[in-house]
Amino acid sequence: MKEEMLKGLEKINQLSLTQEERRIVLDFFAFLAGEEEALESCNTDNVERMVHLIPLKNVLREDVSLKTFSQDSLLAGAPKHTDGYWQVPRVVD
Amino acid sequence: MKLYITENTKRNDKTVAVDDTILVEGMPSTAGSKMLGEFKPLFDAEVISRLYNTGFSIAGKSNVGEFGLDLLGETSNYGACLNADGTLAGAAAAIVANGDAEYALSVDLNGTPRRAATLQNVCFIKPTYGTVSRHGVIPCACSAEQIGVMAKTSVKAAELLSIIAGHDKKDGTSLPQMKYDYTAADNATGIRIGIPTEYIEKAEQTVSEKVYRFADVMKADGATVEEFSLSELSFVQAAWQILLCAETCNNLSRYDGVKFGYRGNNSKDIGELYTSSRTEAFGLNAKFAILYGSYVLSKGHYESCYDKALRIRRVLRNKLDGIFSQFDLIIAPACSKLAYSPSDVVNSLEACYNESYFTALSNISGIPIVVCGGVQLMGDSFSENKLLTAATVYERTEVGK
Amino acid sequence: MKYEIVIGLEVHVELATESKIFCSCSSKFGAEPNDNVCPACCGMPGMLPVTNEKAIDLGITAGLLLNCHINRVTTFDKKSYYYPDLPNAYQITQWFSPVCVDGGLEIETQAGKKVIGIKQIHLEEDAGKLVHDDWTDSTLVDFNRTGVPLVEIVSQPDLRSVEEVLAYLERLRAVLRFAKVSDCRLELGSMRCDVNLSVRPYGSEKLGVRTEMKNMNSLSAIARAIEYEAARHIDAIELGTKTLIQETRRWDDISGKSFAMRNKETAEDYRYFPDPNLVPIVIDEEWIERIRASLPELPEKKAMRYVSELGLTEESTALITESRNLCDIFEAAYPISGSPRETANWLIMDCMSYLRSKQLSADDLIIDPLKLGELIRMTIEGEITRNAARRILTAVIEQDADPKKIIEEKGLSVQSDEGTILAIVERAVADNPKSVQDYRNGKTKAMQAIFGSIMKELKGNGDPQVIQRLLKEVLDREE
Repeated sequence: MKEEMLKGLEKINQLSLTQEERRIVLDFFAFLAGEEEALESCNTDNVERMVHLIPLKNVLREDVSLKTFSQDSLLAGAPKHTDGYWQVPRVVD
Repeated sequence: MKLYITENTKRNDKTVAVDDTILVEGMPSTAGSKMLGEFKPLFDAEVISRLYNTGFSIAGKSNVGEFGLDLLGETSNYGACLNADGTLAGAAAAIVANGDAEYALSVDLNGTPRRAATLQNVCFIKPTYGTVSRHGVIPCACSAEQIGVMAKTSVKAAELLSIIAGHDKKDGTSLPQMKYDYTAADNATGIRIGIPTEYIEKAEQTVSEKVYRFADVMKADGATVEEFSLSELSFVQAAWQILLCAETCNNLSRYDGVKFGYRGNNSKDIGELYTSSRTEAFGLNAKFAILYGSYVLSKGHYESCYDKALRIRRVLRNKLDGIFSQFDLIIAPACSKLAYSPSDVVNSLEACYNESYFTALSNISGIPIVVCGGVQLMGDSFSENKLLTAATVYERTEVGK
Repeated sequence: MKYEIVIGLEVHVELATESKIFCSCSSKFGAEPNDNVCPACCGMPGMLPVTNEKAIDLGITAGLLLNCHINRVTTFDKKSYYYPDLPNAYQITQWFSPVCVDGGLEIETQAGKKVIGIKQIHLEEDAGKLVHDDWTDSTLVDFNRTGVPLVEIVSQPDLRSVEEVLAYLERLRAVLRFAKVSDCRLELGSMRCDVNLSVRPYGSEKLGVRTEMKNMNSLSAIARAIEYEAARHIDAIELGTKTLIQETRRWDDISGKSFAMRNKETAEDYRYFPDPNLVPIVIDEEWIERIRASLPELPEKKAMRYVSELGLTEESTALITESRNLCDIFEAAYPISGSPRETANWLIMDCMSYLRSKQLSADDLIIDPLKLGELIRMTIEGEITRNAARRILTAVIEQDADPKKIIEEKGLSVQSDEGTILAIVERAVADNPKSVQDYRNGKTKAMQAIFGSIMKELKGNGDPQVIQRLLKEVLDREE
């Protein structure tokens, strides 16, 4: 894991590390790369992935609409809002 | 001792402390992070509704490490919870140990409540995945996290568990069974117990002594105990770390300074808003989980990391089927030692990863755990009653001394 | 033309459900901002997604209508990217196992019939809406639309011209509207179309560089965008001044040009992975058959049947089969009226002119078909005049009135009794000597005035044929 790649990961995740943090993280990434090698020792040929720990299928909800939350209550914790909208800096396409 | 992030002044005498990763309407929920800011949930977690219906009150929102990702709460934005001797305590376990509340609810995401219960010598039950509703849990790893119950004894913990467990249609991964009957048998006769040697080798002697002590009490009560090798432990941690971080990265992406919570200082454009909010408000453990998580999901690594980990999960599940046909339960340490000082967690990332060696198996597979007598009891899915039997026998023996 | 244009379309269609796909908020259009929102669809933590059954039903419906194979197991996945209309910074969609694959839609153009391949249909959740506020130089976010269920219909790159594209979109819209999968309103955004376009020399098998275009809000804008973009591609190839790159472009209808979208890296990595909160959907034969049995007869089949079995003209048929609503009303009304043709006429002329006067469309017509049928029957059988019937029609539409009751209350039954009419005719002839004189002098039109006064006395309910006959008899009789 090189510093450039790490900066790329920071960018897509909308955050940035300090140089000191980068050092720690790069070290730990390197450590984990070693750990990842251990994964190879597990034979997963013809083994299906297991996304869910429960054997449920077709958990479905009836198509009924409910109004439970008011615009006011949802916006109450908004850092910036106006006229019933959440407000952010102007977005350019 | 920083036990609570928010205390409830209106408590009655039937109290439960609730980790700050579980939503209580009207009380701030921080998940131990600066990121949630002053966020006040608009609804109660399902477990809270069930507690209210049974006449319980909330003692307060117990202190947690940021999003439950750390060793023992050391990364909490509100200060670590320390014992009088300066060692780390887990707040929920300490609350129950010192009697400030009778019970506590903790989310077991990566083993923290199990470690905390071990250190405070209280009981913690992590139930089978799908048993307790996750509606109202601030999510990290949805495929695995479960709310568990902390109490002084296993009997008490089981009592509370039977109130909160059971199907919830608001949780799409909730098992259909409506009620669970948690009862321990009278004795441990005929219970077959296994001890994986790999765990013993990794733990300090003070810890493995507890395991053997527990085993002896069980044998005296008619159980059989056998050591065995669980070589799969060599890759459980790494596989679990991949799944944990991938899902956590995804669940933490919603925190962006826009809808609620902390908003960064730099907001000249939307990109700066996102970046300043997330940089200023997430701690390093959370940032790391996000970065590693997106790494293992990225093109070029998805197959060898995330997809591989999902298949390993199935291999482990199959292996556990085999193990639990041979044994009724497994006992193991929950952590490598019995006291952690702040210096042990200077590199919290590594410390936490190393300790997850003991706890990852249950997280990745969803099998239930009872921590009792400083030891983890692990059983197959839905084997809580066997675990409770062992725990009850142990507690009865210890009390009788 | 040296070059062949190769087009594939990705059409997003909002499903006609009551609630959103993963939460119970209303999915209806037009509410106040953030009025149809809950913690789940505005990115707050703690609420879990639970799949809307109707969304799956409609996904299967779309698949059957488009002749697709329905996957027996379908799952949901997360697609990650940052944009303020996406509150969780991920969209729940279907990447690994979509609900339908491998279908086709037949279109007809001047060149004849052609089947456009459908690569897949998948379910996903819609994003919110951004409103740019110049006054405060900020962007306002409305999450009402977040979580509304969509199907994305991905065609094979089988389209070769604007004509084919429009035929495909119109046919798709007709079929989906007819089966009530969606109301498919391009201008309201319940149907959105992204165009993937490349060009290549005629005869070449290899595909050229592909660009994707978004933001066309009408069929004519789509036509303009395709023409512009094809020309841009051809220029780039022939003149070699600009290299074509695979990218997403935004169509600006006002300037008539496409622009590369800013901040869009080519081949963005969305890091798809399976959603751990949503368990797989297993679609068995029984489910598929249940949906198949509920499919409506499609417009073309109805049209054939109306013309060959019910004797309607092709014009009438074309007008009625444009609207599922009109078809439903027609089919329920004509057995009562006894005349499919008359029923069709009433719908196309009288009902439609009523709707137009209220600025409504065929889909807005709300009328009890049984009452309509009865009204038409009574008119055909001469129990009331056409005029009277027209007046009653309004009451049937607006108040769901019973035609029989109105006729009784207002005495609108046609008066055909010869004795009664003859008496009035005699009186009218006696009272209008000038008109009678004119008639006898050869001005046959003078009879109309007398006719009018007879009808007026009968309050418009006189049987016109009886009046006409008796009046002529009386006029011709006297010397």
